[in-house]
Amino acid sequence: MRKEARKSTIPLLVLVLSCAAMLAGCANLPATTLYTYGDHATRVLDLLTPVFWMAVGVFVIVQGALVYTVIRFRSKQASAPVPTQIHGNTKIEIIWTIAPAFILLVIAVMTFRTQAANSYQPPEAMKIRAIAHQWWFEFQYDDGKIVTASDLYIPVGQSVQIQLEAADVMHNFWIPKLAGKTYMIPGKTNYLAFKATESGIFRAFCAEFCGESHGNMRFRVIALDPAEFAQWKTNYATTPAATNGTAQALGLTGDAARGAAIFADPKKQCAACHIIEGTTAKGKIGPNLTHYGNRLTIAAGVLPYTTDNLANWLHDPASIKPGNLMGRVIKKGMLKDQEVADLVAYLDGMKFAVNMPAEK
Amino acid sequence: MAIAEQKLTSVSPATASSGSFPWRTWLATVDHKKIGIIYIVSAFVFFLLGGIEAMLMRVQLGTPNNTFLSADVYNQLFTMHATTMIFLMVMPMNVGIGNYVVPLMIGARDMAFPRLNALSIWLFLGGGLLLYLSFLTGGAPNGGWFAYAPLTQVQYSPTAGMDYWILGLGLTGIASIAGALNFIVTVLNMRAPGMSINRMPLFVWMNLVVSFIIIFAFPTFTVGSIQLLFDRQFGAAFFNPAQGGDAVLWQHLFWFFGHPEVYILILPVMGMISEILPVFSRKPIFGYSFVAFSGVGIGFLGFIVWAHHMFGVGMGPMANAFFAAASMVIAIPTGVKIFNWIATMWAGDVRLTTAMLYAIGFISMFIIGGISGITLASPPIDLQQTDTYYVVAHLHYVLFGGSILGLFAGAFYWFPKMTGRLLNERIGKIQFWLMMISFNITFFPMHIVGTEGMPRRIYTYEAGMGWDMWNFIETIGTFLLAFSVLIFIYNVLSSLRNGEVASNDPWDAATLEWTIPSPPPSYNFLHIPVVNSRRPLWDAKYPHAAGDDHHGPSSAPSQVRYEYTDEETEGAKDIHMPSLTFSPMIFSGGLTVASLGFIYINKDILGLPTRVAALGFILIGIVMVSIAIRGWILDSRKDSPYLSQHH
Repeated sequence: MRKEARKSTIPLLVLVLSCAAMLAGCANLPATTLYTYGDHATRVLDLLTPVFWMAVGVFVIVQGALVYTVIRFRSKQASAPVPTQIHGNTKIEIIWTIAPAFILLVIAVMTFRTQAANSYQPPEAMKIRAIAHQWWFEFQYDDGKIVTASDLYIPVGQSVQIQLEAADVMHNFWIPKLAGKTYMIPGKTNYLAFKATESGIFRAFCAEFCGESHGNMRFRVIALDPAEFAQWKTNYATTPAATNGTAQALGLTGDAARGAAIFADPKKQCAACHIIEGTTAKGKIGPNLTHYGNRLTIAAGVLPYTTDNLANWLHDPASIKPGNLMGRVIKKGMLKDQEVADLVAYLDGMKFAVNMPAEK
Repeated sequence: MAIAEQKLTSVSPATASSGSFPWRTWLATVDHKKIGIIYIVSAFVFFLLGGIEAMLMRVQLGTPNNTFLSADVYNQLFTMHATTMIFLMVMPMNVGIGNYVVPLMIGARDMAFPRLNALSIWLFLGGGLLLYLSFLTGGAPNGGWFAYAPLTQVQYSPTAGMDYWILGLGLTGIASIAGALNFIVTVLNMRAPGMSINRMPLFVWMNLVVSFIIIFAFPTFTVGSIQLLFDRQFGAAFFNPAQGGDAVLWQHLFWFFGHPEVYILILPVMGMISEILPVFSRKPIFGYSFVAFSGVGIGFLGFIVWAHHMFGVGMGPMANAFFAAASMVIAIPTGVKIFNWIATMWAGDVRLTTAMLYAIGFISMFIIGGISGITLASPPIDLQQTDTYYVVAHLHYVLFGGSILGLFAGAFYWFPKMTGRLLNERIGKIQFWLMMISFNITFFPMHIVGTEGMPRRIYTYEAGMGWDMWNFIETIGTFLLAFSVLIFIYNVLSSLRNGEVASNDPWDAATLEWTIPSPPPSYNFLHIPVVNSRRPLWDAKYPHAAGDDHHGPSSAPSQVRYEYTDEETEGAKDIHMPSLTFSPMIFSGGLTVASLGFIYINKDILGLPTRVAALGFILIGIVMVSIAIRGWILDSRKDSPYLSQHH
């Protein structure tokens, strides 16, 4: 009796749990590959869906055959007679060699069609250059006239072609909801073309292990309506005006003008690594900080953009992103609390209005 | 050495396990069975170390934004976890069981080159110890087990960790190549009379296939990693784009080895399953030739699919399409094996011993791992799934759900042959179910978080991505999994003392190793059996049921014997076996010490004293190797010219 009950509850439990798991897997989570807003990722999903159901079919048949065989033919008595000694059957062997070959042929044909579509590089696509660094992404528009980092702005409904490069080690460019991965390789240029079909803010990652803070190398993609995108580009190309405002950070009021002076001060070393258009800061090692106040995150996707988070970052970059270059220069305590607040006011003040879409 | 100090029929497990540890007969041994056991025990110790590394990582990932481990330590742990499980656990465990069982299955008295065999085990241990020494000397390898350039160049990975990795794996690589050559010669030359190639047990078949894979795949890795070492030590720039090298070249060299390596890990286990399923179904394997040749087919195809690990590097759609097609084709022989295993049980008298449960568990989990592999073979899907936890799920379903469950099947099956006592079946079954359930709790959710976009090899992740719950569940699963391994350890330790004493043939099996005592005497077979079928022992036991089981010209039953008269046992004195020798161990020790020297010869740590010490290590190593070579030559003379004659 007990045995019978156990036998029927286990498969039921497994069924319920896997349904729950599948439902949970189908929620529109921030980085899921199952809700797509780009043609590249959508074509992958359209390929995955039939392949998934074929896989479920194969799983049910083969796993079912296994379980059925074990249950049906399990030894019922210790001294059972020796079963008939069957050595094989060539006809059956041929059938179960050809049947999977046929399924695979179907998958292969579908695969090659999707691959052809996804590797096509439309000549009219807007070109954006992406350069990966340990551990942040740099983006260049219009042959380097616009340089930004960590936030990739693209227009909706228009193909973009990302020219992928790496400055140091290998990285991997991945926007789960828009397009599959492509490596960013030092000494080699790869291209990825895709089109966002809806406006939104999308999560993106470096997907290849690239050293100590690989886990902290993320970015955001902001897909704007074409008019908004054009406006963003115009605004970005405009040199930020000198700021005089103030900002609150960690309970202190920072002064933007003082911050600008600190930033330009050679002893503080900010300008040795960063560029801010329209100022004396011309360093090319770190990310370009022009219009920094528009960033959505701090430290390449690690922290949401708030003045407090920015202040924490400036206090001790190494604690937020282990191993990063800035942390080797700016040690904890090197910048006074007031200096940090002033820098925050300066950086936060450089911004212009963007009609931000929702996170998708 | 006079083998006959031990008496054939009177070696009971009780006397074998009592008394002090005869260290000399182990450290200087050339007996394939003792070497096999050293392999198995050390691989198991590395299994525990790799498991501890996995648990530490799971604790770190159990909650978002966790600070239990630093990024650098996490990176060292995942590098060492994979390196350990692949090179120091599954491979040597396969080799250990193969070392013990293959000569017995083919009716041989030892491997073809017993001293080379001893060299392999000590080189493997030297390499493993060198790798683990790195934890104590300033940082373990941290560039991933795939060691992608240029991250592994010295400017991005300045600790000595990757140098330890290159030289440690270099030593285990020599061990593997030497071992593979030994297996090939043994299997091709030393089979008992009548055991034609098409009568070999399938486990022997798979070891033969894997040995060929090793001698073709490992040299590529060895050459590549030596180039990497030159890059790091001497600025050779093979893989450094900043100096005109090619980073993608490393990937090709690595995966040309790395994908066949996957089959090196799984095929011997498939061979074990192909032995165990028929025995506990009391039937022959269904479609012997198909199972054997699908293994050969996998071995060949394994060499033309390497770039499916590289769909994203920009090889172009044509190259990707070729490697995708080849990868899908490999599913066919794999499927054939699964269908034949199920058909073997069909209409059988299926006895659900623990070994059988593990064998069935292997098939069940391997089905899942095989199916999840299909989507990874399709480049467009792969580009969404690669480098996410989906791949982590897939690879653990084939390497844990496959290889390791299969190794547990092998452990329960051959433990009585190796130790003379059976493992406790009741504890074994409890452990089996706990392991199956906790394995799935640990790894199944990884399919989901991978699909939900969680990248691999990240030491932490932010909250609110929808990954938290699954990661927490996975971490709990890991602890249950660890508990099931503890149960196994308890079972082994208690069964060694109090387990049921094993007869020659406790499972009613079919192959030659079950014709001799458990554990076997050092010379294995008093009389080399004459084989007339694929299942010599079965046919001797069931002459009427055998029916059509004869392959070859003769239909006479195979001559296998259990019982020997005292006079015959006395004759064991005349069986000539190679003598004990420390030369292989000294040789391996010398290479290990010299490798340690090479790691530091060009490092700027502590300046000149380090370099002098490094040079000293190299010289000591050379002296040790020279002594060992001299000893080796003298040993050969002593045993010459009738070394390990087998009948």
